[in-house]
Amino acid sequence: MNSDDFEKRLQSQPMRQIPGEWRTQILQGAKQSVPSPLDPRPSFLSTLLWLNPKAWASLAVVWITIFALQFASRSGAPKITTESVPQSSVFWMSLRYEQQTLVELMGNNQPVDADQPPDAGPKPHSERQSKTAAV
Amino acid sequence: MPAPPDLERLYDEHAQALFAFLLNFTRDENDTRDLLQEIFIRLAREPGLLRGARDERAFLIRVAHNAAIDLMRRRGTRQKYHDQFAEDEVSIFATDENPDAVAFREALSRALAELPADQRAVVHLKLWENLTFEEIATALDLSPNTAASRYRYGIDKMRERLRPIYEEIK
Repeated sequence: MNSDDFEKRLQSQPMRQIPGEWRTQILQGAKQSVPSPLDPRPSFLSTLLWLNPKAWASLAVVWITIFALQFASRSGAPKITTESVPQSSVFWMSLRYEQQTLVELMGNNQPVDADQPPDAGPKPHSERQSKTAAV
Repeated sequence: MPAPPDLERLYDEHAQALFAFLLNFTRDENDTRDLLQEIFIRLAREPGLLRGARDERAFLIRVAHNAAIDLMRRRGTRQKYHDQFAEDEVSIFATDENPDAVAFREALSRALAELPADQRAVVHLKLWENLTFEEIATALDLSPNTAASRYRYGIDKMRERLRPIYEEIK
């Protein structure tokens, strides 16, 4: 089998013709794919969001929920503070009551002011002398 | 901004060659149509695409080849796609009333389908586009030696495959 003859034989085989209706379809498709200058060009953001709008919408809902919860917890903060005031007064009242009980047990009937610091050692001489003179 | 390309002229001058190349390469008429559409959409959207191209036909074949390779990659591995090609029976040659001619073309179409896609592309461009090995190398991004060796391997396989029917109808 001659190589040249064989290749010439192959070359002489005509290829199938492209379907005639493709011309209109392909050219129309190509022209429609070009954005018109009158149309606003899609922004990068809209192109990005358009890839998966449901996922982006879900993410937006999650963020809105997080912000809403955050806002709610902030607006509730003063309420917590006002509630903490009675708790602190109850604490001081119970502390005062315990100190008073302790003083009574030790034999002193004078009520002790919880806000006053405890007796810190001997007083200065001048104070002692004034007390003695008064007696 | 470059002037919009004359799509009608480009289609009339090159669509038939691109169709034959893509049909032989993909072995699927729907893929061929999609790829052809993709090429013309690109031409419409990028008016400067052909600027600087010395040979429009060779440039468009390169674009078509790259688009077909991308399609193959999207579909899966090259071998898997090639196997799928080989199984498909698609007529890439014109019909004829002579039964011998029809039989030879069918055998030739099957022999081409059995070639690896790389060899098939080179054989097609050499035989039916009359490109030189340098032009084929530029179009398919190969060295001229690689293009020549792929052609030689491909044509040898086809000669062996077609020898019986060729001798019979000669």
